[in-house]
Amino acid sequence: MASEDTQIRINDLSFDIEGQTLLHNTNLSLNGDGITVFLGANGAGKTIFLKLLTGLLTPCSGSITVEGGKLSIKTCAFVSQEPVILRRTVLKNMLFVLEKITSEKSTLAKELLSLMGLDKKEHQNAMTLSAGEKQRLCLARAIITNPEILLLDEPTANIEPNSTTLIEKYLIQKVRSSRKIFFVTHDINQARRLADEIVFIHTGRVIEHSSAENFFENPKTREARKYISGKIN
Amino acid sequence: MNDISEAFVSSLGLILFLDAELMEIILLSFTITFYAVLISSILGIPLGAFLASTHFKFRNTVVSILFGMMGLPPVVVGLFVYLIFSRSGSLGWMGLLYSPMVMIIAQVILILPIVCCLTFQIIESLHTRYHEFFRSYRIAKLKSVIAYIVDSRFELTTVVLAGIGRSISEVGAIIIVGGNIDHITRVMTTAIALETSKGNLDLALGLGIILLTTAIILNGFILFLRGKYLKTSGSTI
Repeated sequence: MASEDTQIRINDLSFDIEGQTLLHNTNLSLNGDGITVFLGANGAGKTIFLKLLTGLLTPCSGSITVEGGKLSIKTCAFVSQEPVILRRTVLKNMLFVLEKITSEKSTLAKELLSLMGLDKKEHQNAMTLSAGEKQRLCLARAIITNPEILLLDEPTANIEPNSTTLIEKYLIQKVRSSRKIFFVTHDINQARRLADEIVFIHTGRVIEHSSAENFFENPKTREARKYISGKIN
Repeated sequence: MNDISEAFVSSLGLILFLDAELMEIILLSFTITFYAVLISSILGIPLGAFLASTHFKFRNTVVSILFGMMGLPPVVVGLFVYLIFSRSGSLGWMGLLYSPMVMIIAQVILILPIVCCLTFQIIESLHTRYHEFFRSYRIAKLKSVIAYIVDSRFELTTVVLAGIGRSISEVGAIIIVGGNIDHITRVMTTAIALETSKGNLDLALGLGIILLTTAIILNGFILFLRGKYLKTSGSTI
């Protein structure tokens, strides 16, 4: 599980595609607990950074290491902006990601669905859920794998407000204390509500990294100030 | 014109009174089609799913060859299989020439690329949506291939039906390897060809009506499945 002593170290991480650098040499040391929000405008490189963390993308240079604790970057769960739903029932979607289905896991799946307000829909075809319900299902499906790190790529970008509230409430009350969360968003208000620390990315460069409180009260860079004031979208 | 209408009425009589010869031909046609499509599906669907979801060095070459094989001329396939299973051929010792078994083999060669390539196309589009999810959850290759097949089940049913359509209407290959032997290898298409050349139009027409009805039912079933799938999945894919 995540702990205060654990640090995730990003060393000289960069990512190029077809000669274009999408993430420039990045050095960071991230907290092993709480919620780290990657904030920045569309196309800044937030999703690239998150996919590098999950291992879905391979960096052109650099490395990601975990120091001072048991936290493993390999035991992570990723939830993308577009919910990926299998063409089967809600409950079967939950159980699909498990290596072995036990009665305890089935019970846990039902509990998680209940927490996400999907308990009455567990035998419904998941493809017929609303966008918000699909994203709630994706989050519950990620949690059931018991990941040490939860990586969320704008999970509330295209969903209705009540689903956004439910997901945020769930992350803050149930998940934050037990595992590390990386959360990508371009919504400043959402970042204010969720973040313990902020990584501000601008045109493929991490230009600010600080606690959420410091970032919003005393942004150090001109770009961050402009972003907070809504002058960069 | 009068001959044709008489033949049509006579053919309907053969169908309605379940003429023994007609039923024997129909039964053999469906049996050969059943086994040819079954074998093609068992081999072609997993192969298509594997090719669609896996990247390896010569994948594009393999896929190109398979797509090219979709248009194999049946008579050439028939000739090829004939040469292999004829007495002087490499598998002549098996004594399969002019048997339903060799007709199934010829049909499998014709249908397998169709089933495989159509499966490939269907699952490739699903793979675009699923592969990141499977990778992020470290889903095993076999489990992911099974998931692709299960989640494409409605579309794959239409692939199987397309295979049935191709198989049941095929004549070129099976007439060469089967020999159109009465009570042994005579199927609907080969019988139609023979009976027409003999001027026995009532039996030829009767078989033609059955063949046409089968094709219409198959297409109707494809449309029904498509409608059912769109209704239950809420998807346009």
